[in-house]
Amino acid sequence: MSARETILARIARARGAGAAPENAEERIRRHPRGPTPRSGDDPLRRFREQAVGLRSDVAGAAALAEVPEGVAGYLRERQLPMQAVSWPALLALDWRAAGLDAQARAACGDDAVGITGAFAAIAETGTLMLLSGPHTPATVSLLPETHIAVVERARIVATMEEAWDRLRAEHAALPRAVTFISGPSRTADIEQTITLGAHGPYRVFIIVVDDGPTSAGRPSAAV
Amino acid sequence: MRLALFVTCLVDLMRPSIGFAALRLLEAAGCDVVVPSTQTCCGQPGYNAGDRAAAAALARKVIGEFDGCDAVVAPSGSCAAMIRVHYPALFDDDPTMRAAAERVAGRTYELTDFLVNVAPLQTIPGRYDGTLTYHDSCAGLRELGVQAQPRALLARMPGVVITEMRESTTCCGFGGTFSVKFGDLSAHMADNKCAHIAQTGAAAIVAGDLGCLLNIEGRLRRRGDLHTRVWHIAEVLAGDDGVCR
Amino acid sequence: MQVTALQFKRRAAENLRDENLQRALARLQTKFVNGRAAAIAELPDYGSIRDAAAEIRDRVLRDLDGYLRRFEQQATARGAVVHWAESAADVNRIVADIAAQHGVRRIVKAKSMVSEECGLDDALAARGLDVIETDLGEYILQLAHEPPSHIVAPVVHKSKEDVADLFAAAHHRPRTTEIRGLCREAREVLRPRFLAADMGITGANFLVAETGSVVLVTNEGNGRLCTTLPRVHVAVTGIEKVVATLEDTTTLLRLLPRAATGQSITNYVSLLTGIKGEDEGDGPEHFHIVLLDNGRSRLLGTELQPMLRCIRCGACMNHCPVYQGIGGHAYGWVYPGPMGAVLTPAFVGLEDTLDLPHASTLCGECAEVCPVKIPLPDLLRHLRQQQVERHLRPWSERAALRAWAWLARHPALYATGARVVARALHLFAGRKGRLRYLPGVSGWTHERDLPAPAGRTFRDLYRAGRRR
Repeated sequence: MSARETILARIARARGAGAAPENAEERIRRHPRGPTPRSGDDPLRRFREQAVGLRSDVAGAAALAEVPEGVAGYLRERQLPMQAVSWPALLALDWRAAGLDAQARAACGDDAVGITGAFAAIAETGTLMLLSGPHTPATVSLLPETHIAVVERARIVATMEEAWDRLRAEHAALPRAVTFISGPSRTADIEQTITLGAHGPYRVFIIVVDDGPTSAGRPSAAV
Repeated sequence: MRLALFVTCLVDLMRPSIGFAALRLLEAAGCDVVVPSTQTCCGQPGYNAGDRAAAAALARKVIGEFDGCDAVVAPSGSCAAMIRVHYPALFDDDPTMRAAAERVAGRTYELTDFLVNVAPLQTIPGRYDGTLTYHDSCAGLRELGVQAQPRALLARMPGVVITEMRESTTCCGFGGTFSVKFGDLSAHMADNKCAHIAQTGAAAIVAGDLGCLLNIEGRLRRRGDLHTRVWHIAEVLAGDDGVCR
Repeated sequence: MQVTALQFKRRAAENLRDENLQRALARLQTKFVNGRAAAIAELPDYGSIRDAAAEIRDRVLRDLDGYLRRFEQQATARGAVVHWAESAADVNRIVADIAAQHGVRRIVKAKSMVSEECGLDDALAARGLDVIETDLGEYILQLAHEPPSHIVAPVVHKSKEDVADLFAAAHHRPRTTEIRGLCREAREVLRPRFLAADMGITGANFLVAETGSVVLVTNEGNGRLCTTLPRVHVAVTGIEKVVATLEDTTTLLRLLPRAATGQSITNYVSLLTGIKGEDEGDGPEHFHIVLLDNGRSRLLGTELQPMLRCIRCGACMNHCPVYQGIGGHAYGWVYPGPMGAVLTPAFVGLEDTLDLPHASTLCGECAEVCPVKIPLPDLLRHLRQQQVERHLRPWSERAALRAWAWLARHPALYATGARVVARALHLFAGRKGRLRYLPGVSGWTHERDLPAPAGRTFRDLYRAGRRR
């Protein structure tokens, strides 16, 4: 017998004559939610509070067109390089006018700034939800020290449960990687002292855009 | 209400005044109290050591002695919990004994819980003037939910000032035979408890379990603290005969 | 990892006297204990979420084979390869074979307790593979050649000076004790290793049966780096980690970080499903998931089954006054504290772990803080029972307990015995009213006085007519 057969047989024997198992397939199909904390009425406010609490920087923008200036201002204030890699969907914004040199490609070890969109944002914990895919390279939000995320206000949901429902509705198959990001990377391994900036980004700047492609019917930035 | 006092082996051997204080309190609450004469031990030492058979044998005896009263009251959270929480499962294979165990278990109470929730004691007979701090013994707290009750009773004594210690719900390190088998660990925990007591500046430390009190007192005195008084809550509440000087 | 649990008492005694360690352990109190309390207070529905979490775990355990089959089917459909391992040695062999199969030389590794259980790093190194730990704490341990002392904060036992020494020796850079500087140094040293790695090894916090996904919760970003850049990803984990659905995962994620460190959510949560698509730029070309039994299935259907609910948060050890006093290394294996005192005997055997279930007052704090309601004190007591049934306790202990139980069932003899002891100890104690020494209980009297008995027993006084 293979290890697989041995292990599964042992498990089945242990269950023995006990109650017949509940129908796993049925439950998976229904995927009921557990107790979900009541959220307030204002997901944007909650999202901001939580994200700032977790040391992300958060700003607003009325329209996508305002984003490049917002990013440029952020980088200049911190004397960070005015060069970035970006997801292709965001490249069409007028970065040059804002004084930024942006390229649409995966990030490599030397890139200092990475600009992404987000599939959704979760108000409960101030979290960004990013999906992997050919047009959403994961390295852009991972390798650079600064991660800039452009989030549509309409895509802020109250809880992770709502985010799963959106994912199921909008994507036929689960992407290879669904990544939830809640602030700059951190560690507390040395003397339990929280230090921001471990292996991932040192800072996360989230720009919440009131008016975005999804509301205009084009899903390109909401990836 | 006719109830039976479960004295506990430690009170019987080490500090009978606690048993008499409990008697006084229960009578003040309007109860008729009997003290079954052949009682010895609830069986917890054997039970916690893993000797289920010995525990069951003692449980049989206790059930035989205490079945038939309206209530069983013990001045100890750990003994009351042994009977109330653990006795029934000792007789999973014996339906008659299990029923008897459940009967006795369902009527067994820790003293302060009884005096607040079953036979409320409105006027506290004792007198205490000064500060004290209260240690929450583990079994009473986590198995029986005893926490508010002793404080509620103490609050009815005008002279009492309760100063809560940090980590009042952290184990003092007694743990029955643990205190001897893992003596250095136990003493370390007792030492932490003594440090928290000292930080309150209270004149006395009070608790509902004599095991905890002996452990704490033993460490206090070895640390050189001869002034902090160590009382069982029954002694504070009953007062009388100059017990709480 | 080798088991040295029989050294428990000796190590515990040393660790109690180790002032550096005591200072380090005190930090657990302020950070993790207080952190958890604050984080739980933010959840008004904590009680019902906790009930739901326990049921989520129990549901899977009641049908573990069904959920495992479903997980395997889903994962395989997305291009992952699922391997089954009965023992630690099997895991090591499987992972080494995977490395060989894919021509792997350089491996980066994220934190995995199961890999510690197996001694995977050493096994791979013995096969000539270059394995580097990337979780900061695990990296420090790798430099120090030490095992972890906590399942979430592996180097809780080390000070920043200790880390500075290790880094100075290994990195050939000027020594710094500034924590931010140390973290940046680690980032700079490890970054090239991520970029050059052929294979990333991780654990799995959960396995989602609905989607065939591996869930990783991390804070540092190393987990993401291990699973995005290298062309091969291997996840090793225990068979009990399965949960049914994405929603169940979310419920557990509400509690795991809060119970562990006081965070509302870990910085990164990754849901990883299968291999990269043809048109994707990043992600592994090969994804192997290794499911380890190593004694877990033997707990099913026994009184220890609830232990399999464990989601490895570490809350039990953070709150345990025994762990707080002695740290994790005293427990002698991968899993310390209350959960380790149950798992180590369960997985490794009772004979080699005799002290572990007894090194507890059964105070119950662990059970109180466990997010999935594992009745740890009951499980410890059950292990004590098993030791008695298998005659593993010292003869003297058994004899003393038997004698006590016998005496307690013979009231007249008991009364005489108690009378004698009460009188004698009262006399020995003299005016001071306490004893500094008593033969047979030196464990007590070494550091505590024994208050003297009053001199007469309650029984005798009551019989003589005293009533108040």
